[in-house]
Amino acid sequence: MGLMAWSREKLGWVPSGADLPIPELRFTVLDTELTGLDERRDDIVSIGALHMQGGRIEIGGAFQELVNPKAILDGRTVVIHGITPSELESRPPIDEVLASFLDYTAGTVLVGHCITLDQAFLNRDAKRLKLPPLRNVAVDTLALYSWLRHRSADHPAFSMDLPGLSLYDLAAAFEIPVEAAHTALGDAYVTAQIFQRLQPFLAQAGVHNLAGLQRVGDPRQAGNLTPTGQAHF
Amino acid sequence: MLIDETVRFLAQVPPFQFLEAPLLRELVQSLTMAFHPKGEVILQQDGQVSDHLQIIKKGGVKITLRPEGGAEDVVVDYRERGETFGLVSLMGGHQRTTIVAVQDTTCYLLPKERFNELMASHPAITEYLLQFHLTKYADMTSREIQGKSLFLESSDHLLFTAQVGELCQRFTTVVEADTTIRETARRMMEERQSAALVVGPNGEPIGILTDSDFRTRVVAAGQPIDGPVSRVMSHPVVSVDEEVPCFEVVLKMLQCDIEHVAVTREGAIRGVVTNRDFLVLQGRSPLAFSEDIEHQTTLEGLAPVSRKAMSIIGVLLREGARATNIIRIISELNDRVVRKVLELAEREFGPPPVPYCWLALGSEGRKEQTFRTDQDNALVYADVSDAQRPRVTEYFRRFTVYLRNGLVQCGFEACPANYMASNPDWCQPLSEWKRYFSTWISEPTPEAVLKSLIFFDFRPLHGDESLAMELRDHFGRLLPDYPAFLGFLANMLLRNRPPIGFFGGVAVERSGEHKDGLNLKIKAVAPLVDIARLFALEKGIRQASTMDRLEALRGGTSLISELVDELEYAFEFVTLLRVHHQYRQLEAGQPIDNFIRLDSLSNLERQSLKKAFRLILKVQDQVLDRYKSFII
Repeated sequence: MGLMAWSREKLGWVPSGADLPIPELRFTVLDTELTGLDERRDDIVSIGALHMQGGRIEIGGAFQELVNPKAILDGRTVVIHGITPSELESRPPIDEVLASFLDYTAGTVLVGHCITLDQAFLNRDAKRLKLPPLRNVAVDTLALYSWLRHRSADHPAFSMDLPGLSLYDLAAAFEIPVEAAHTALGDAYVTAQIFQRLQPFLAQAGVHNLAGLQRVGDPRQAGNLTPTGQAHF
Repeated sequence: MLIDETVRFLAQVPPFQFLEAPLLRELVQSLTMAFHPKGEVILQQDGQVSDHLQIIKKGGVKITLRPEGGAEDVVVDYRERGETFGLVSLMGGHQRTTIVAVQDTTCYLLPKERFNELMASHPAITEYLLQFHLTKYADMTSREIQGKSLFLESSDHLLFTAQVGELCQRFTTVVEADTTIRETARRMMEERQSAALVVGPNGEPIGILTDSDFRTRVVAAGQPIDGPVSRVMSHPVVSVDEEVPCFEVVLKMLQCDIEHVAVTREGAIRGVVTNRDFLVLQGRSPLAFSEDIEHQTTLEGLAPVSRKAMSIIGVLLREGARATNIIRIISELNDRVVRKVLELAEREFGPPPVPYCWLALGSEGRKEQTFRTDQDNALVYADVSDAQRPRVTEYFRRFTVYLRNGLVQCGFEACPANYMASNPDWCQPLSEWKRYFSTWISEPTPEAVLKSLIFFDFRPLHGDESLAMELRDHFGRLLPDYPAFLGFLANMLLRNRPPIGFFGGVAVERSGEHKDGLNLKIKAVAPLVDIARLFALEKGIRQASTMDRLEALRGGTSLISELVDELEYAFEFVTLLRVHHQYRQLEAGQPIDNFIRLDSLSNLERQSLKKAFRLILKVQDQVLDRYKSFII
């Protein structure tokens, strides 16, 4: 274990040692819906997340909150996620939701599709609310998929031509049914299933522990792969 | 959303579908979802014990077992969507099989602790899962189908749900055996009863005297009315316990041809029920039809009544009657029509010159007709001298032609293969019939065996039953000496393998008119009938109906004596499916067939059907083993 990992563990930022095998890791698979992509202007309208223990998705105990944003919802994004301003008026502001969400993620590895965008908005709000930022190790399904693409080319899910690399493109590649698209929890569930499907291939490719996951699923890699955060709003 | 999706899924999957909705929802909270890529060894024989019950959401697994000292794995089972695995290891603490995903497979995992709680609170769930017997399947399935019809039409289910005790008149006229007929009549009039029960010294029912008995046994017979009632009463009296379902009582009345039944509580008289009570309950009762049939004196009058009787099936189905009871009632009503036509024929042509016996063949002989199919019958008459022969032959020729035409008028179509008494081949004296059976049994050829099968299921329906009994004794004596005949039967049984596909799924017709359909009669009903027939003939059992044959084999020495429960329930289940299917077609005005579409079945029905097929397969393997030397 490197010094960095050791000190992170001591500080409680990661669930455990970098050599912990994947089946023993606990994950929070998350997705946020936003009013738009502009970090200075836009806000989170909902957070959906669920837990996984290794490759197993937990059906109970999902996290799902609509948030009353400060930013104004415009018609453009309402069309996508279908959340209207009146629905949000009665919802709590991010101040109340964020703290419980941070609790929800405690001791887990974060997983998301293009997760840097989610992290950016969550950490922006945490900072503003003087809450500790999300320091959990994060893994990106887009980065994992792209990494595996070169190594598992004999499987149709990796060799087929996809129109793009959005969450739904990957879901189609793995024949995962998409219900409740563009809701935070619905998309988190799809992300979790993609992550679930990727795990056997990761094991085949020699990725067995947290350190390996971090190496090949680095969200910054994903940031370079996708020009937009379409899936988020 | 995850929860809703999972609840929706489990609500279609037995046994979870039997859980109350709030409990199911709560149970779902404790589930996890796992993915097993194709080829993954999920559990390994003698390996780590499973700590979950796995419910297959999508995909399929293969279960194999390596016998001790064996070199090769034996496939034990395939499981697919809606089925579970990991139970035995969960409960037994030892993993006895290897389970491999044969497709990409998604499962819901129920943790051991939660499963144990469920076992404690819902023993039925465990019982179901253990599947020691098909019994549980069939019970729950018929309940499910019952629920379905409940949903479709709100008709009174009283006949099947009510016990006869709820219906019987609390008060009844009870007289001692030495009471005079006059006194009995006076009491009945005073008490406004249509019958009086006659009791013995200890109050036990020994006889019954009804309104109609006064007509026929007293007045018409010129009995002195100061004599004791015991002289004219009907006896013994049929009595039933108050907890017997009304439906069974109706059946008993039909069978015994009676209108009154004594109802008892722990052996003591509680009252009497009459067919009128059931009519009130019922509106349209099987008894009403049977009376209608009895009252006809012409073919012209009988025909419409007979055709109308078919509508009774709908009533029975809606009330969720057991399939084997439904077909028994159908047979009972059909028998009455046939007997009536025979009576009319006897009146038309005068009394028969020699005793005869009318034989019902095939499904009619087994009392397993669903909807009125075609006529399958034969006639045996007593041997006659050569001198008499021409006259007797001519009588029965005209007699049987009248029967065939009369039955066609009543809605029984003529048999296309001409298995009818009107065919001179099948209207013969006893000695000739014996010769037929001797030939079939001693010189079997595949073709001859196939053709003669229908005759081995014969049942005397009218006339001199001793002729039929003698015939049965005759072939019963022959069978043990000619094992090759049973070998041919075994062969025929083995040719009709159940359509179970690679994943344990049921194979269907791939093309043609009945694409995606499964011929229930050929693939499911016939093998069970054939199994019962083979073993009944092997053991010299005289019954003709499949259920009776199975029941007679219970606990005996035959190969299937331990499987009687499972076979009976399988037969009950496939019969019910068939009756339901055909009734739906009848109501929709479609032609009746035996093709069911698998996608029209519920998960539970599909599983029960698969279960029946697996059972057939199992018995076939045992038959193969036993009749090895005869198998071609």
